[in-house]
Amino acid sequence: MHAITLAPVDWLIIALYFVAIIGIGLYLRRFTNTGEDFFLAGRRNSSWVAGLAFLSANLGALEILGWTGGTMKYGMAVAHFYWVGAVPAMLFLGLYMMPFYYSSRIHSVPGYLSLRFDERTRLLNAVSFALMTLLMSGINLYLMALVFRTILGWNWNVSMWASAVAIASYITLGGLMSAIFTEIVQFFLIWFGLFLVSILGTIEVGGLHNVMRGLPDAMSRLWATTGSPADNAMHVSWLGLVMGLGFVLSFGYWTTDFLVVQRAFSSKDLRAARLTPITASFFKMALPFIVVAAGLVAFQLARNPASGFRLLEHPNHPGELWYDTALPMLIARYYPPGLVGLGITALLAGFMAGQAGNVSAFNTVWTYDIYKAVIRKDASDEHLVWMGRVATVVGILLSMGTAYVAMQFNTIMDYIQAIFSWVNAPLFATMMLGMFWKRATSTGAFVGLISGMVTSFSIFVGFKFDAIPPALARVLTFTAQPSDMSRNLWQATWGWLVCFAVTLLVSLATEPKTDVELQGLVKGLTAEVDDTGSSLWRRPAFWATLALLMVVGLNVYFW
Amino acid sequence: MTPPDKDSAEPLPIWFFVGLILTVYGLLVLGTGIVGGPGNTVLAGTRPALWWGAVMTVAGGVFIGIGWRSHRSS
Repeated sequence: MHAITLAPVDWLIIALYFVAIIGIGLYLRRFTNTGEDFFLAGRRNSSWVAGLAFLSANLGALEILGWTGGTMKYGMAVAHFYWVGAVPAMLFLGLYMMPFYYSSRIHSVPGYLSLRFDERTRLLNAVSFALMTLLMSGINLYLMALVFRTILGWNWNVSMWASAVAIASYITLGGLMSAIFTEIVQFFLIWFGLFLVSILGTIEVGGLHNVMRGLPDAMSRLWATTGSPADNAMHVSWLGLVMGLGFVLSFGYWTTDFLVVQRAFSSKDLRAARLTPITASFFKMALPFIVVAAGLVAFQLARNPASGFRLLEHPNHPGELWYDTALPMLIARYYPPGLVGLGITALLAGFMAGQAGNVSAFNTVWTYDIYKAVIRKDASDEHLVWMGRVATVVGILLSMGTAYVAMQFNTIMDYIQAIFSWVNAPLFATMMLGMFWKRATSTGAFVGLISGMVTSFSIFVGFKFDAIPPALARVLTFTAQPSDMSRNLWQATWGWLVCFAVTLLVSLATEPKTDVELQGLVKGLTAEVDDTGSSLWRRPAFWATLALLMVVGLNVYFW
Repeated sequence: MTPPDKDSAEPLPIWFFVGLILTVYGLLVLGTGIVGGPGNTVLAGTRPALWWGAVMTVAGGVFIGIGWRSHRSS
């Protein structure tokens, strides 16, 4: 007997989802002829379409399950990952960085590095991004199979192969446009499929005030308990949160990770591209109303034995509660037949859209930044589209391989948390200097990026194998015995700092590019966006200010 | 492969597909709520399948309308 059993109508709803996404792929096939169609969705999207896809590419089911369970452990502090760890960086991307990305008409983030610096930095980033994407994609696939096997009893191979074949089909057919369409469908399925859990949970515990009732300060406040790492459930200080999460990791991910930025490249014009992350920020801000609310409901129910609510045991760690099962257990508690199918479809859609996001970013980086840049420089547009389709299938197969490896060696999961701090955090320093300092040189960028990546990775390995003495740990993380979360934030910060410093110093000692070569790529040599003539509601700065005020208000309210 | 003809050069807006899926799912959930009765879940008395199914169906209709209007004006 499994936690959730499906009625025929639930199976019908799940089957219809597969029919819908493959149908969308088949429909979009006829609009996908050129490289721009396949890799950039024809650059025809509005900011609404690109913005929701931007958000959904990041919003996997893992995040929803993980943070709902995380709320049971850390309380309200999970909202930091949205209100500090995402929104400010998204607004910065839209206001300040998008003009350089979009105006240079590139296909990918490594493509910008090639124009601004040289082929070495492009290739370094392209290869590390491709590896990171495949690893993330494989682990996502493995966890999807693990969740569905545990709560529904589904066979490993069937759930992995069914989702992989579906994703490969619709991306091969419609390219990025297929990925974007299904990401938007997924966005609405998640809200309609899962928000009801928070509503019913709040009703059961007796209203919003009861959801927060009796929570210790360490779980109910955002900032008041961050003076010392010992005072909050995450064991992180405010400085670690602001620098590590709010600045380095967040800006590193949201402004340089091609998986999300690619969605903005599909916009129809610069204004839509700038509005893409700004539009997405409003929805990102709202997500804690699903994950944190559901997590707090689960916490309140779990501490009342009479409620009968309990989490499942972790299949890989017998005896340990598996916090990721909080949301599925709430679905089992509240949803009758029909709604159960909708809830499971929402989770399935979340997993698959995250997967599709990885695959569509991988096929572009492989095709333009590795294949065309290194292997076949004279490839025609038609050949590149063919290669993009091949890369989609190969990428999915490699993800499957990673998933099977993860199944055999669970410890691979320890690395997933850290991977952004190796790749994205140093890259953000390279991008910042590249876009805002014309003196940054190609050699400076390359040496700086390698140094930052090696620094971040070395700190990770040092802590992992207990090779860092307490005195050094205190210097690196401001505490002798840092939590995993704290290590992760600080290794990102050090990776960023080293990359920034080395790029700066080496640049001062090497020859920069000329102003002519840097036209459109660096601040001061790029035409400024002047939208003062347009009405207030059409200006990205207006919406960004509104989003910023809202997010500050939320932080103050839950201080 | 032949290029798409002029009339079909732009795909239908995504909102149309979102609306279609929400409507179909809304009707299925609503129908199951009507036929299947309240069931034995916690808070079954609030009949979530009925009102949530109705909310989804209405939302789906709105999105189909938005998609249709946007397609006609493009």
